[in-house]
Amino acid sequence: MLLEVRDLHVEFHTRDGVARAVNGVSYGVDAGETLAVLGESGSGKSVTAQAIMGILDIPPGRITGGEVVFQGRDLLKLREDERRRIRGAEMAMIFQDALSSLNPVLTVGDQLGEMFTVHRGMSRKEARARAIELMDRVRIPAARERVRQYPHQFSGGMRQRIMIAMALALEPALIIADEPTTALDVTVQAQVMELLAELQREYHMGLILITHDLGVVADVADRIAVMYAGRIVESAPVHDIYKAPAHPYTRGLLDSIPRLDQKGQELYAIRGLPPNLMNIPPGCAFHPRCPLARDVCRSDEPPLYEVSPTRGSACHFWRECLDE
Amino acid sequence: MSEPILEVEGLVKHYPLTRGVVFRKQVGAVRAVDGVDFHLGRGETLGIVGESGCGKSTVAKTLVNLERPTAGSIRYKGEDITRLSGKALKSVRRNIQMVFQDPYTSLNPRMTVGDIIGEPYDIHPEVAPKGDRRRKVQDLLDVVGLNPEYINRYPHQFSGGQRQRIGIARGLALRPEIIVADEPVSALDVSVQAQVINLMDRLQSEFDLAYIFIAHDLSIVRHISDRVAVMYLGRIVETGRDAEIYDHPTHPYTQALLSAVPVPDPEAREHRERIILSGDVPSPTNIPSGCRFRTRCWKAQERCALEVPALAVPAWFEAAGGPAAHDSACHFAATVPIRRSAPGQVVPPEERPGGTV
Repeated sequence: MLLEVRDLHVEFHTRDGVARAVNGVSYGVDAGETLAVLGESGSGKSVTAQAIMGILDIPPGRITGGEVVFQGRDLLKLREDERRRIRGAEMAMIFQDALSSLNPVLTVGDQLGEMFTVHRGMSRKEARARAIELMDRVRIPAARERVRQYPHQFSGGMRQRIMIAMALALEPALIIADEPTTALDVTVQAQVMELLAELQREYHMGLILITHDLGVVADVADRIAVMYAGRIVESAPVHDIYKAPAHPYTRGLLDSIPRLDQKGQELYAIRGLPPNLMNIPPGCAFHPRCPLARDVCRSDEPPLYEVSPTRGSACHFWRECLDE
Repeated sequence: MSEPILEVEGLVKHYPLTRGVVFRKQVGAVRAVDGVDFHLGRGETLGIVGESGCGKSTVAKTLVNLERPTAGSIRYKGEDITRLSGKALKSVRRNIQMVFQDPYTSLNPRMTVGDIIGEPYDIHPEVAPKGDRRRKVQDLLDVVGLNPEYINRYPHQFSGGQRQRIGIARGLALRPEIIVADEPVSALDVSVQAQVINLMDRLQSEFDLAYIFIAHDLSIVRHISDRVAVMYLGRIVETGRDAEIYDHPTHPYTQALLSAVPVPDPEAREHRERIILSGDVPSPTNIPSGCRFRTRCWKAQERCALEVPALAVPAWFEAAGGPAAHDSACHFAATVPIRRSAPGQVVPPEERPGGTV
């Protein structure tokens, strides 16, 4: 395993109380593999990623337990200066909103070049040449001229390409992409996802793709981890999950999306609302919204049951869900 | 088709670009909407899809008179509302209401839910006499699936999906005939989206509403719409009934747009034929001559730069009839095989694991 997260817990201390954002998440990703982390807002998918990258705001955040083992070392035990050497060079992150993630007063060439001057000690001139190479690599037309331009002079799709170029600059072993195409139009989204998948194959990187879009996941992922209220509720190879989900929440999500190729009747809607993280329901966090819920669900928190050697479901009644 | 209650013809909205402070002169224009025609029947849903910057939201704003069009007419039951003012305009506006995209910024945080939903009654007091308002607001809360006792709460006490319900209740307050919904679910989570879509479906049949449903999510638009119009750079490039557009698109832009939508079916991954468009949408200040899609079109020829294609049924399809015979603004309109699932794996909905979708 390139990266293994084990039993991670993250809390946020706020004026109103303690929000338990991540409650025992474990997942792993291999080199060359794409793991999609699927979840709605507040499910803890981004917070987990921030804890892996070491960019969590502490305080108010606090990692209260768990390990993040990357290439054999537990990152949570490293000093900040050691982590900084890993961040960007060994693992990199692509954010949703490229406009606010790029510095508006520096040219894109300077921002790309900074990766090489800071981490590799190159001269500005060398760094500039590498920046142009990278921009070519992510297929930004007229890279030689555009390297001197500022982020606002690029379109949304082009800015996301620059983010990808920046993440790839030092050829990291792992890339975490947090909703990389959510802000883009579908035709541009297709271009960017294609590019990302191609570069991943070429560099044999591990990719963690954080998203809420079940369509994007079906297109690119090898494995899926579905998160709900800070826990993984189902983890499975991509084909299994779409064929027959083993958790009622996954099933609900799949059933609630309208399909392009069919005109549906009424959509299935998961009743109720996602839980408040300051007050997560006891037992299974999904029980107030679950059609299968019984007494045991209100009292006992389900462990991640083994459905098959490659598959897990945190539902007491996963067999029933699978058969349905 | 039922009688049209809204007819839009030649709608144009240009925003002037000026230079100079003392001697302002116009140096160009953002041609946000550049000649749009459509009609809407009673109780019908017209979906408008397109990418950002295509002008779909500007169309919405002109329909509810938040923007005055530069040219063209919007006829509500035969009367051109772009020429109305004062009392006449006010009474028309009552019948065309809007639901906005962002349930966080479209509700005043300092007003209670009761005041927000009841505010339309201050402007149109004839709809609800003063003493009756509280009850009316509570009825509306009930209709959109919120607890009527929440009438004194503030917007921040609600989740995104609940806020969008409040926005819908406000839109319904005056019992309009038309609701213009601009991306009403795009800010919501998947599980909550379905709830709001189902609510809109239910309200439509309950109140005999006509919807203009604007969205960039093609799957949602198909789900809710009777007819669909595809916009590109300020114009409608293709329009027809939902199956005509989704299963038999003839305009290359529609074809590319549909092929780019990720389908939640990993089996289809290897079998899908994707049309990946090159480049970005041109700037609306500098629209290409002839067909405005030609700079990104793989079929473009000389003729496309010279002649603007009209939005009409292509002659070669008109003769043959069938689902391909619908309006398409392309000189070389043609059908392409649409393959979204793996061959031999087109599973009818009732046999799909997971049941009805």
